[in-house]
Amino acid sequence: MDLASFRAALDDWLAQHARELAPPYEGSGTLDERVAHLARVKRLGYDAGWMRWGWPEAVGGLGGSPILRAYLGEALMARDIVEPDAYSMTEVLAPTMITYAPAPLAAAMVPPLLRGDELWCQGFSEPGAGSNLASLACRAIPADDGWRVTGQKVWTSYAQYAARCVLLTRTGTPASAHRGLTALFVDMDSPGITIRPLGTMHGTDEFAEVFYDDVPVPFDRTLGEVDRGWAVAMDLLPYERSTSLWHRCAYLQRRLERVLATVPDGALTPLEVGEVAQLLLALRARSRTTQYRMADGETLGAETSIDKVLIATAEQAVMDLAATGLAPDVMGGDDATSERWRAEFLYSRAATIYGGTAEIQRNIIARRVLDLGDDR
Amino acid sequence: MDAADLQLFERSVRQATERATGDALDEALRELGWADALADDAPASISILFRLQGRSHVTSAALDEVLATGLGVPLTGPVAVVLPPLGSDAAPGARRDGRLCIDGVGTPALRRAERAVVAVGRTGGEPSGVTTVATSELDLHVVAGIDPDVGLVHVRAGDVDGRVAGPGDTWARAVSLAQLALSHEILGATQTMLELAREHALTRTQFGQSISRFQAVRHRLAETLVAIEAAEAVLTAAQDAPSPALAAAAKSLAGRGARTAARHCQQVLAGIGFTAEHPFHRSYRRSLLLDQLFGSAHTLTRALGDDLLRTRSLPALLPL
Repeated sequence: MDLASFRAALDDWLAQHARELAPPYEGSGTLDERVAHLARVKRLGYDAGWMRWGWPEAVGGLGGSPILRAYLGEALMARDIVEPDAYSMTEVLAPTMITYAPAPLAAAMVPPLLRGDELWCQGFSEPGAGSNLASLACRAIPADDGWRVTGQKVWTSYAQYAARCVLLTRTGTPASAHRGLTALFVDMDSPGITIRPLGTMHGTDEFAEVFYDDVPVPFDRTLGEVDRGWAVAMDLLPYERSTSLWHRCAYLQRRLERVLATVPDGALTPLEVGEVAQLLLALRARSRTTQYRMADGETLGAETSIDKVLIATAEQAVMDLAATGLAPDVMGGDDATSERWRAEFLYSRAATIYGGTAEIQRNIIARRVLDLGDDR
Repeated sequence: MDAADLQLFERSVRQATERATGDALDEALRELGWADALADDAPASISILFRLQGRSHVTSAALDEVLATGLGVPLTGPVAVVLPPLGSDAAPGARRDGRLCIDGVGTPALRRAERAVVAVGRTGGEPSGVTTVATSELDLHVVAGIDPDVGLVHVRAGDVDGRVAGPGDTWARAVSLAQLALSHEILGATQTMLELAREHALTRTQFGQSISRFQAVRHRLAETLVAIEAAEAVLTAAQDAPSPALAAAAKSLAGRGARTAARHCQQVLAGIGFTAEHPFHRSYRRSLLLDQLFGSAHTLTRALGDDLLRTRSLPALLPL
């Protein structure tokens, strides 16, 4: 399936099923409503084949370039069918399974993720390990019948909805840093897991603290090699900056279109509007190149931190523009549309924090792209 | 040109721009066949020459040739083309009552040429087009401005006999080509600023260590690279799939990126970078002047914003 045929057929299908695919709520809906809607959209898309294109046949896919996945997400965002957050997590977690899980495990687990039967989460950050991820302390100890995991994760998005978790644990000594980490694939209904959703500034309690108390994880749920979990984490991050970033860029364009369509005359200056549009265009141009590099089989690396800096900047710029141009609604409106803008504006403040802070991205660019040597 | 030809061409242009500037560079470019390359593959030859020109801080008459190509004017003899006034991308000529008024700038090529090509904008019921006028009829004076090395010429004429000869509507194409060329030159100059600042950060010692270890310094250099790469991405796209919207955005991002870069690099270079003998200010001045040619970051961005607010929609650019 080439992109042109895929695009034409998908656009057709989306037009024919517009009514079924539209969110059944106004504005953002509640998180429960959004998660249920996402599952429904993925199911419809999977049954029609769209969700399977661009994934290898070994995990239930229909083959073809990952560019197809980039376009699918873009097409869904452009029509306000889904929002990128939970939808795009597939783009980060499924490739990790394909690369690092034992083949039978990947073959069994990825299809329900693509079909929307399951949502997964990613257990990396801890109270004591944010930017310094390699200092994480959640321990996995080998017992006779498998790993035993004890520790605490935090800022785990969608943990309360997730069936599985890609969990980063410490298997080496506390001093082993990035050399003593192991990635595990954990069932979230395992005994010993307690999930406590956290209230957030933007009012959507999408992330949680997750406590692991002597949680059993079979050895065949190990992703990659023991003590080589850092490689899994490092391979996963560029995925966050390729397909899923393209989806988010499409969503931001859609939101800028809404600003343009609804802003009162004179509320924004041409200069501020033009500048945001150019930022988004630069992000799109940059990310487009990254999509094709990935499709051509190139290994993505530190240079994707530039994509990440660009999207964090663009996201805040789009939402700052909305908060300026639609200020009476965003600051003082209680209807569903105003509430959605308000939540999105507040959420955008996190764009320079999650997935590696703006400072960590600049550290990576300085050391690994500009070759400025070590900073210590 | 195939890949091998391009490589060979780039190598000769690199040698030329590293050794010569001004008339000598024009001579070298004539010898290596720059005009033929331009006719054969405009985007590739433009990107190679203007990038290197920006990096090495040299000047040539190539912009006039690029414009002539875009306007569809034959490249015979020394060509000089009148550019829009600073900050603008509008055709420099306007017809009033059958007479031609001109307000624009020019490169040093204009002072040597006997005739100048002038694009004329649409006014009233009169069509746009291109005409040539004798340079003796033009009021020309050289200005130093912010970048005296360029030899910029102010051009004015209030009443010239200028029948528009055609070809018709080629101004938009010429503007896009010029914007691509200038974006490359600005980014070349900006890369030079980054190189100077990076080199300085790695060699300058304070508090007993290389200042490249300080996060404040590292982040400024990282910001500079992000600004450059943002502009590069759009410029590459504009070159692969030419469109006026992409060329204008590339030019705008290059101009703004250069300012961002200059602010950070200047701060990293600190006192040394403020001296006249340090080359930093030359690249900075060049980027500031080039930003003003064929629409600046400011005017192009404002024009884009005007369009977006008027149409209340976002044009679909760069499909996968």
